Amino acid sequence: MAAAERVVVDRATKVYNAGALNVFSELRMSVHDRETLCVLGPSGCGKTTLLRAMHGLIGLDEGRIVIDGLEVKRPRRDVAMVFQHFGLMPWKRVRENVAYGLELAGFSRADVDQRARKYIDLVGLSGFERAFPHELSGGMQQRVGLARALAMEPDILLMDEPFGSLDAQTREILQDELLRIYQQHPRTMVFITHSIEEAIALGDRIVVLTARPARVRETLTVDIPRPRTVAGVIAHPRFLELRDRCWHLLRERTTA
Amino acid sequence: MRRLRLGDWAVRLGSIAFVLLVWEFVAPRFNPLIIRSPSAIFRAFFELVGTGELQDALGQSLRELFAGLAIAIVVGVVLGIASGRWRFVYNALDPWVSALYSVPSVALVPLIAVAFRSLGDPPRIATVALFAVFPILINTQQAVRNLDRSLLEVARAFNTSERRLWSDLIIPSAVPFILAGVRLGIGRGLIGMIVAEFFVGLVGMGYLIVEYENVFRIDRMFVPVIIVAAMGIILMGFVQWLEVRVAPWLRREQ
Ligand SMILES: Nc1ncnc2c1ncn2[C@@H]1O[C@H](COP(=O)(O)OP(=O)(O)OP(=O)(O)O)[C@@H](O)[C@H]1O
Ligand SMILES: [Mg+2]
Repeated sequence: MAAAERVVVDRATKVYNAGALNVFSELRMSVHDRETLCVLGPSGCGKTTLLRAMHGLIGLDEGRIVIDGLEVKRPRRDVAMVFQHFGLMPWKRVRENVAYGLELAGFSRADVDQRARKYIDLVGLSGFERAFPHELSGGMQQRVGLARALAMEPDILLMDEPFGSLDAQTREILQDELLRIYQQHPRTMVFITHSIEEAIALGDRIVVLTARPARVRETLTVDIPRPRTVAGVIAHPRFLELRDRCWHLLRERTTA
Repeated sequence: MRRLRLGDWAVRLGSIAFVLLVWEFVAPRFNPLIIRSPSAIFRAFFELVGTGELQDALGQSLRELFAGLAIAIVVGVVLGIASGRWRFVYNALDPWVSALYSVPSVALVPLIAVAFRSLGDPPRIATVALFAVFPILINTQQAVRNLDRSLLEVARAFNTSERRLWSDLIIPSAVPFILAGVRLGIGRGLIGMIVAEFFVGLVGMGYLIVEYENVFRIDRMFVPVIIVAAMGIILMGFVQWLEVRVAPWLRREQ
């Protein structure tokens, strides 16, 4: 199985506070074409920092990140991000928030309209086009964030704990939605989380990171066939084994 | 911001009616050189309208107030945005803003009169602008300086242009703070207006107050005082109404 590598993280090193805070060093990983790679790591280990670097929002101190053969320097239009904090503009209505990236990318008004409608529909928010974010529940707000990223029809989707702040039930609903959206149109995805269940439910592979400075503890393959649902994954015989494995990897104090 | 319900209005109107009523019955017991009843003030209002004095003075005062506020809003918003966005402008401006803001503005009025070498409208307009500009400037500056960093990151992630950064992020997030600054500025601007009318040339509402105080017509003196209060209430209400129009995302029920 020699899948093409879309994203390659090559000996990436990032420090803050003039070197006093080593977020990760010599980090290596790669994301294959049309797979969902879940990055699992303890809180504060540098997952957001890694994703920011993948999108070119911050630079690395050493090493590099390459997407489709090009070193990442700044955000690219074929990569889109879904944020931990949703990142919706409070003064824009749902439709304008979803259309935001499209407008910036210079699509014609008709295309912006048509695509915004399509992706609002896809995430199940038809009828809420004219609502302001504060009028929506947290789950609905993140649907907007998801639609905004999907509307760019990106080759690569970067997701930073998108469901982390939602309640368990809403989270499961959105995980199922994401599985459904992926199954309709598989695309390359990096999904950051610190939930083991979420990583197994969504991921084709799971990269487990250590605490800071983050290193790759182990990479697991989730051999649970698609199409999946969260309930189906949890009921799958492999689920418990994978969960225990992740659990041990996260707990083990590693002497780095 | 909470919107007023019907019950709230009933209590407000009731409170006003109660005070006026008590005032009406208590006033005759006092020396009419010190206090007059609401009905006497009401009559004085029509006397002043009859002679045309009130309209003239009101026109004069409104002219100063609007011109001064317009200048304060333009200067406050422009300098506020510039100093909030660019460190250089902030550093160049901050000592002056801090100094001028901490001196009681009243102390600067004679200076303005001297600087303009006139007792006409310009020094009075300048006084209104001076009184009103700081809350607007400082509010705008703080709003721009405290731009939501996570939204800034979102904008960058979607490859925003500098122009779109202004229209999508900087301006909309500053608007509510600018309007709050304008509300404060209106209150201070009215003080500036009256102070300037006392000190520079004696005209407008300020003139009416001083003039009728000197001849012990307390009933007439109260008319401009009440009108100035009404100007404040109406203008601030207008800004509040405007806020709902230009910043509908702030309309949170409950
Ligand atoms: N701009 C910055 N300047 C200094 N330190 C930073 C900066 N950004 C992040 N850090 C630090 O880097 C470390 C990793 O942060 P990061 O946000 O990447 O963690 P995370 O794994 O995403 O955490 P969480 O699970 O809570 O989202 C933290 O200790 C954080 O305080
Ligand atoms: Mg994070």
